[in-house]
Formats: sequence, structure tokens, C-alpha cells
Amino acid sequence: MARLSDLPAATAKRYAELECPTFATTPWVNGPPLAERRVAIVSSAGLVVRGEKPFRGRDPEYRVIPSETRPDQLMFSHISINLDRSGFQEDWNVVFPLDRLRELAAEGVIGSVAATHYSFMGATDPVQMEDYARDVAARLKSDGVDAVLLSPV
Amino acid sequence: MSALGHYLEEGGVPTVAISLIRAQTENTKPPRALWVPFELGRPFGPPSDAAFQKRVILAALRLLERERGPVIIEDFPDEDPREQPDPGWRPPFAKPDLDNGSATRLALALEDESERVEAAFRRAAKERGRTIVGLSGLSVGEAGRYMAGWLRGQTPESPSAEMSAPLTLRFAVDDLKAAYIEVALSGSATPSSKQLGDWLWNDTAAGAAIFALRSMYLTSEDDRLKAIAGLFLVPGVRVPPSG
Repeated sequence: MARLSDLPAATAKRYAELECPTFATTPWVNGPPLAERRVAIVSSAGLVVRGEKPFRGRDPEYRVIPSETRPDQLMFSHISINLDRSGFQEDWNVVFPLDRLRELAAEGVIGSVAATHYSFMGATDPVQMEDYARDVAARLKSDGVDAVLLSPV
Repeated sequence: MSALGHYLEEGGVPTVAISLIRAQTENTKPPRALWVPFELGRPFGPPSDAAFQKRVILAALRLLERERGPVIIEDFPDEDPREQPDPGWRPPFAKPDLDNGSATRLALALEDESERVEAAFRRAAKERGRTIVGLSGLSVGEAGRYMAGWLRGQTPESPSAEMSAPLTLRFAVDDLKAAYIEVALSGSATPSSKQLGDWLWNDTAAGAAIFALRSMYLTSEDDRLKAIAGLFLVPGVRVPPSG
């Protein structure tokens, strides 16, 4: 349903005209077969562990989501009210598919699930996030992660 | 999301992005992306459908095994079956009679309704084992009363030193909407997000109250309040054409 033609005209126009950063080149890193990879989720849904500071405005920082986080501990603080929250309310895997990754690891389809996952506020200008994203990349590497599933909302 | 893919991959970590707006992904050109035909807010598709979600995840992760790239943008072929309405779903309570109601009458109706919803919300949260309500720090009934104060033209004091009164209004509205939806989701039916939204916005005192708050404060001289009224109370798809 997230086709521009299905969205309200004003929203579709805003998304179509949204200025996206452009890059001269696109990086490319290879890795082992999926069954040997360690997978992390990086979300832009403004997710926060309950008790931590919710995202406000266009915060460029990130929040840490440990793998032992339970569904009842994860809050959704994305600034936009123009996206569905009821799916996440019914089942957190719609946005943060940690249960599915655990199942795939148990089935041997992926190697393992990362110890830590990360969340950004997707409404922030990505250029403002760059330094924080590079920090997350270093943290992911130190956890041995070699596959990141980027989850928008 | 696609820009994050650039930054992380430049840092040496392979990435694959789920794409909800294909045009944005085409502009940003991440290393790998899977476009999905789902509504905003549901990147992995239908709730409570593990098999479907797993197909989406695997379709994305398998792109990591491609040897040639960048840029890879593939399309997931299947629609989200939960976008279809469930004819078996029933609203949790009957539509209140609000015709020609003044703001004061609407405030009373909101206080009464949110108090009743609080009890149902507590049962639903216990049954589900979780809730996303909690941004304002107010209970559901308190959030209703806080909003009712604004409907009466007052500026109720924020209960938190860290939040201004307008920000508390925004989070109270977020919490109230979330609580109503969680009540509407209890039971075995599988309503679509549109069914839930149609009920909240058209058939509850809370929906009518949020529309009224938007209208009241859209022309406020307080810029924060004006911005919150215009951008953070009523979703764009629900704003009437007259604005």
C-alpha cells in the first residue's frame, strides 16, 4: 500500500519531493553465506527501551536495544503520526522482527543474532546522523555483526 | 534508511534495507534494498503472521548473498493480507451521541469515555502482556482529563518538569489513541488498520475531541501549540479537505 499513488495527495507530494542525500559512489561489502552471518536490526522507527528518553523532534542520535529486550519494554516514539502503529501494537515483529531472527538462527538459516540492535529517528535529516551511524558501524563490527537488516517505518 | 545503509557499509558492515517508498530508495541508491508493498509503519507486513514476516526477512537477507552489486533494488511480490478488513471485527463500544455538541459537552463526553476505556485498556494490556502507552506519563483517564482541560480553553499544567504543556498535550493524545487501538485489538478478530482508524476517528468521543483540539489551536499565537495542532494530532489522511 506504500505506493505513492495510494497515499493522500499532499503526503505523496511531500515524499516524492523529499530531498534525499546523494552519494557519488555506493559501498559494497561481501560476507560469508547467510548461515554463517551474525544479524542485527537497525530501525528508524524511533524505538526506545521503556525508561529511556524518547526521541523528540529530529534527534540525530541513536538508542541501543539489547537483544534480551522484551516486547513489553519497547516503545515507539517516531515523530510522524502519518504511519500505522496498530501493527506494532499487535506484534512488535512488524517493525522489530527479533523473534523471527531468533527462529531463523535456531533453524540454522542465519548464523546468530547480534547482542545489540539500534534505533534512529527516521524523520531526521540523514546527513545529521552520519557521525552517529559511523559510531554504530564500529559497535556492530565489535559485536562481530556481518549482516544488518535496515528497518524503516 | 537507505542513507544509513551507505554509512554502515562504508564502516565495513554489509546491509540490506527494507524500502517502503521506492522512489526515495531509487534516489539514495543503497547497496541492497527490498521494496515491499506494505503500508507505512509495517515494514515486515502483517502482524501475527510469522510465516509471512519470515518470507519478507529472508527475501531481504538473501540479497546479501548476491555476488554482484551495488546497487540491488528488488520488489517483494505479495501484498499484506491484513490490509483487507475483517468483517468479523466489532467496535469495542457503541458510537456516542455527540451531534451539535459544544466543546464543553465534548470535554465531558471525553472524560466519561476515557475513564471507561481505561478499565478495558488495563484488561487488554494484561491479556497482551504489553502496551505502547506511556509517553505522557499519564494514565488513560488522566490523559482524557488533560485533553478535556484544553478543550475547555484552559492550559492545564504539565505533570512533568521535563515537558511543556503543549508537548504533554501531544503525548496525551498519542497515548489516548494508542490505548483505544489496543482495546479495539483485544479479541480474536484481525481488523485492518483502516477499520481501526475509521472507528477511532468517526465513532468515538476521543476522535471528535482530537479533531476539535486541532481546530481550536491551529490558529494559536503560541507557535509550539500551533505546530502541534497542525502536525501531531490528526493524521494527514484524516484531515478534512477544508483543512
